[in-house]
Amino acid sequence: MKVKINGQELEAREGETILELCLRNDIHIPHFCYHPAFGGQGACRMCLVELKEPGRKDSRLVASCTYPIHSFVEVITESERIQRLRRNIVMLLARRASQNPWMKELVEQYGAPSMPAVETEPANCILCGLCIHACEKMGKTAIWSMFRGIEKRIATPYDEAADECIGCASCAQICPTQAIKMEEDATTRIIWNRSFELVACKRCGKNFATREQIAYMRESSGYEFDELCDHCRKVTLAQNMRQYNQ
Amino acid sequence: MQINPQEYNEASNYESLIGSYPGRPQYILAIMQDLQKQYNYVPRLAITMISRHVGVPVSKIYAMASFYKAFSLTPKGRFVFRVCDGTACHIKGSETLLDQLHKHLGIRAGQTTEDGQFSIETVNCLGACALAPVVVVNGKVYGKVKPGDLEEIIKECGGQCHVSENEGK
Amino acid sequence: MSAKMKGNNYDQQTILVCCGTGCTANGGRKVYEAFTEKIKDHPEWEVQPILKSTGCNGWCEKGPLVRIMPRDITYCSVTPKDVDEIVEKTLVEGSLVKRLLYRDPVTKEHLSSHHQTDFYRKQHKVALRNIGEIDPGRIEDYIEREGYQALALALRNMSGQEVIDTVKAAGLRGRGGGGFPTGIKWQSCKNAPGEPKYIICNGDEGDPGAFMDRSIMEGDPHTVIEGMILGAYAVGASQGYIYVRDEYDLAVQYLGRAIEDARSHGYLGSNILGSGFSFDIEIVRGGGAFVCGEETALIASIEGRTGEPKDKYIFPSEKGLWGQPTVINNVETWANVPVIILHGAEAFASLGTAGSKGTKVFSLVGKVVNTGLVEVPMGTTLREIIYEIGGGVLKKRKFKAVQTGGPSGGCIPEELLDLPIDFDSLTQAGSMMGSGGLIVMDDHTCMVEVARYYVNFLAGESCGKCTPCREGIRALLDILTRICKGQGQLEDVKMLEEISITMQEAALCALGRTAANPVLSTLRYFRDEYLAHIEQHKCPAGVCRELTTFYIDAEVCTGCGLCKKQCSVDAIQGEKKEAHVIDESRCIRCGECFRQCAFNAIKIR
Repeated sequence: MKVKINGQELEAREGETILELCLRNDIHIPHFCYHPAFGGQGACRMCLVELKEPGRKDSRLVASCTYPIHSFVEVITESERIQRLRRNIVMLLARRASQNPWMKELVEQYGAPSMPAVETEPANCILCGLCIHACEKMGKTAIWSMFRGIEKRIATPYDEAADECIGCASCAQICPTQAIKMEEDATTRIIWNRSFELVACKRCGKNFATREQIAYMRESSGYEFDELCDHCRKVTLAQNMRQYNQ
Repeated sequence: MQINPQEYNEASNYESLIGSYPGRPQYILAIMQDLQKQYNYVPRLAITMISRHVGVPVSKIYAMASFYKAFSLTPKGRFVFRVCDGTACHIKGSETLLDQLHKHLGIRAGQTTEDGQFSIETVNCLGACALAPVVVVNGKVYGKVKPGDLEEIIKECGGQCHVSENEGK
Repeated sequence: MSAKMKGNNYDQQTILVCCGTGCTANGGRKVYEAFTEKIKDHPEWEVQPILKSTGCNGWCEKGPLVRIMPRDITYCSVTPKDVDEIVEKTLVEGSLVKRLLYRDPVTKEHLSSHHQTDFYRKQHKVALRNIGEIDPGRIEDYIEREGYQALALALRNMSGQEVIDTVKAAGLRGRGGGGFPTGIKWQSCKNAPGEPKYIICNGDEGDPGAFMDRSIMEGDPHTVIEGMILGAYAVGASQGYIYVRDEYDLAVQYLGRAIEDARSHGYLGSNILGSGFSFDIEIVRGGGAFVCGEETALIASIEGRTGEPKDKYIFPSEKGLWGQPTVINNVETWANVPVIILHGAEAFASLGTAGSKGTKVFSLVGKVVNTGLVEVPMGTTLREIIYEIGGGVLKKRKFKAVQTGGPSGGCIPEELLDLPIDFDSLTQAGSMMGSGGLIVMDDHTCMVEVARYYVNFLAGESCGKCTPCREGIRALLDILTRICKGQGQLEDVKMLEEISITMQEAALCALGRTAANPVLSTLRYFRDEYLAHIEQHKCPAGVCRELTTFYIDAEVCTGCGLCKKQCSVDAIQGEKKEAHVIDESRCIRCGECFRQCAFNAIKIR
């Protein structure tokens, strides 16, 4: 169905969010808690846009990452009100990650006034929630957001090594401020208070996963695949397929 | 925080309490309420058992125990002083009562004395606003409580006050 | 004493002892037990009086209340020791125990019935119609007072749509705070495709200072149940849940008993009253979270998740509990439904204002003479409630403000006391009706500290998911705490306003969007107080400790010694009948002496 974004008419899919539609059409809306793998959470509120529905006199602000399109609407993605809002959200989040380079860039980009820093656990965490959803999707939900209100934080149960953690580090990878501490050497990865044995690729010798991660992937796929890194797995597959062409 | 060894003794009791509910997420709250009532906290071992029973990851069960104020992850004291901090009680001096309790017991809201005898909690409005300020100790409601009354109430619970009334701030 | 009872002894006499939470805390249960014992001693009485414990009468200040019917006598502040006298004098002899009657403070007259008092005369009970008159543990009492007649009428004579139309015509709006038109909500659920459909009663009453829902659930549980059955019939729902705040033990008990009784009487279960319509109700206890009063958080809680709200671009009436069409209404809203169906939309709509029909229950608390529950038609002014019904400010101190709508609301100052209370007028004044809490504040209340108190409350109650609410509240709290400690700067006021606006615009749910209201409304009406804290380092109300030094005016002090006795740190010295002195080095500035002194001899430097 048709919708209007910044005066431009676009074709939207039934039920897709405003943000998804805009991303598909190269219209930029800043967002910290949306990821194509699990959609929007409505947590950071950076993606708010002005929405005008037919029949309603005034426009209102909605989170573009969670607002589903079911009929014609008009959307404005830039305005003074929206700019001020984004600036203030960055100002508030920058307290939690004041030394992080990415955050510092945002502060400059939005002209956010400075406020006293706040200590967080983990340090620099802006509670975007990407890590816990990555863990839910890629791992066994070893971490989640605990407590509530101003004390809310990401943690494992009892802040101790979680049995469920497979050491895949999807959480650390997806974190925009690198708040999740991970240490790695030739044989071991330490993350969330647990030590994991790294497994080397049978073909190229590069460490590519932890033992627990491989076990979990085998168990959930039901497939006893070889211990190969991503690249070598594809090369091996291609080689195997070449056999059939001969 | 390692699992309290006592919990292993109680394991079969946790099992039957949890098992008495259907294994669905909608019963997590009710199960934890029963555990809290019986054990004065939600035991760590029980959290793992609930996870298995309802099919929800341990992290999310723990998240619920940490989110809802009805639950305690560590055992509460034998006598829990619930000081109402509802608006009516607040403007009639509930903060002074908390200060006074700190003087007597050495702990603040959310804490338990080392001997496990007393805990202090601030609670949201108990709905007895005409009796503000209100303190509830193990279900017994004390209304129109003055700071000077607290020593007596603590003694009623068989407790010792840290600091006597006559010492200064 | 004769074998018969004199006086109205051929009329069945009934003794009603209030055992609502307030009166119970004051010893109501013991009074009830004393009556039980006393009556046991007299098996020779021809007509045994009926003894009932009832829910909250609303007049908590004067409890424990005992009422004798049918003569409609009300005794106040009754203790077990009074029971003998009441039975001998009133039940047997037929005379009044004057000292237990309410004495009007102006006319000095003793009033025999609470119905004659200003507190009750000006009220109009609809949602509270049965409370204090019935034993909430007996379905027969409810049935005797038109109970379940609305249900029978609807199942016999009306279609589900007709029930909805009646509720629409009545103009009922949600009583929990949102004020959303109930009929429209129900219509949307009825129209939504999908089965099963659910009915939820929101009994998570979280506003500090509000206890009307508790009183209804404890004192008249069947009105909630009947309301829900009617709602279920209207929209086509098959299962209902009553979500009760964890702290409300008694409410859970009474509701549980009422559901069992309703089932055994055929009002719940399959094929209700032979209509072919089936519906049942389960109780879910909350986990202690104010945010779970928000619809989507409440639903998440029932589903077994943390109470984090979500964006409501699709309403629960379309996709709610487990993704199904769901109607959620507040306890008081449900309590009104049977009356609307039985007596018609017009009767209900004859009360109230154009935009807000019917009555509203308010909990009148704080520095007011008559604290308790008050039900009045919408449109009654704040002045009428606080002064005519409430008896004015406690100890005749100066009125400063009345907080309405709890942590999501704001303060209304003296100049707006003639505002007729309805949903829209309060919102325009910068506050809101909320669940109906009215907290009266006097000149010994610091409005900056009140703002800090509410923000501090929300800091722990916010779910913490979205940035504007969590970080906004954190920032507001940091700033307000500094101001109360005398470390505020002028720029802080601008920052408070800036952050508040972002919270109002961008927060995910109503908790976050209204969290800044106490700050904005106190800034609007009491800006000078903020400036006194910031620029003069003074707290005019004598509350903020770092900014207050108390001293005793030797010329005014009578040496009564009350302050010295009160002082919990022994900071006051003085001989009887001689001017007392405060030792400033020991004084902790709790303000107890300041508030207690009957001569206003204690002052702020």
